[in-house]
Amino acid sequence: MSFINMAATSAGRVAVLCRNFQKGLTLCNTTCSNQNNFFHRTQLRFFHPRVSASNFFPSLVEQCRALHSSHSRRGLEEFFDDPKNWGEQHVKSGAPWSAKQLRTKSNEDLHKLWYVLLKENNMLLTLEQESKRQAVPMPSPERLKKVERSMKRLDSVVNERTEALRLLQTGVKNERPGEWRRNCLGQAIWYKFKEHPIPWYMNRRYKKKQFFALPFVNFFTQLNLEKHLRIRNRKRRAEKEEKLKLQKFSKATA
Amino acid sequence: MTLVRPGKEQPPDTVQFRIPLEMTKCDVKNYLEKIYNVPVGPVRTRIQYGTNKKRNHLNQRVKRPDYKVAYVQLAQQQTFLFPNVFPKKDVAHEPGSMDEIQDKFLEDERQRQKPDPRRGGITDWFGF
Repeated sequence: MSFINMAATSAGRVAVLCRNFQKGLTLCNTTCSNQNNFFHRTQLRFFHPRVSASNFFPSLVEQCRALHSSHSRRGLEEFFDDPKNWGEQHVKSGAPWSAKQLRTKSNEDLHKLWYVLLKENNMLLTLEQESKRQAVPMPSPERLKKVERSMKRLDSVVNERTEALRLLQTGVKNERPGEWRRNCLGQAIWYKFKEHPIPWYMNRRYKKKQFFALPFVNFFTQLNLEKHLRIRNRKRRAEKEEKLKLQKFSKATA
Repeated sequence: MTLVRPGKEQPPDTVQFRIPLEMTKCDVKNYLEKIYNVPVGPVRTRIQYGTNKKRNHLNQRVKRPDYKVAYVQLAQQQTFLFPNVFPKKDVAHEPGSMDEIQDKFLEDERQRQKPDPRRGGITDWFGF
């Protein structure tokens, strides 16, 4: 997969949304690798100690370059859909990428998929703007949501991987250092550290900040706690009632 | 990044984009060259202010978002013409489908609205 740039093909565009086309991608990969093996074998067969292979047969790198048929040079056309789809009322598109599917992919694949999704997003945005301009309904606007969700999930998967790596390498969970502190309102907050040119005891504005709560705040923390508990219990009760209702109606129908 | 049809007439080598406010001319140039493989010449940008004047049904002011417009000139004497992305297509619906029934109905309505062809194009308010 690494030597083929799938980022810009029409196959890549389909791969944006349809996970069924993963099989298509792997097939393409296998066919190309077969061709590669063929060239390699022919090179070995005709290799002679006196005559260098590079004169008769191009090197493997050049053969690989010749196989780079998937590198698209379309440029600004990629801001628009396939010309066959222009003027259609509905354009078919597959399901968005789920986090489960994305976790099976390698980092290189995810990197390429990100750029495929980015280009697809740009294309859909141009289509949306043009449809607003021409006062015409945009064909299949749900594609925008699908792409947005796929990109979000990809981002979350990549963040998971970086977090795991960071935990293993440094033992720290987050990129930016911070700590739990109690602010002047009595709430526990995650305070993110900033970079300063001077130490904290020389920083006048920082010293004015209160990271402690005076005793009169306890009344309000109690009120906050009651509010939180009320919301939590209301939610639980609603869920229980929903469950009972479903049970009642299932009994009635059954 | 959105490619938009220019409101005013632009030179043939200029392409108009809407970009995020935080993007700069260099960013636009690198973006197009690296991701889209487009040869880019000079880039000019401006920020379009979105109006805060319109009011909703609750008489609250609704802000339209600001956006940055980039005018990108293509290098190597390339030209770009914004295509017609919504060409009219004659769609033949399958017989018996809802779309066909609707089309037939609209066609009948249009026929009913037309004046009597026997009058030879004269309007209705002439006597008889």
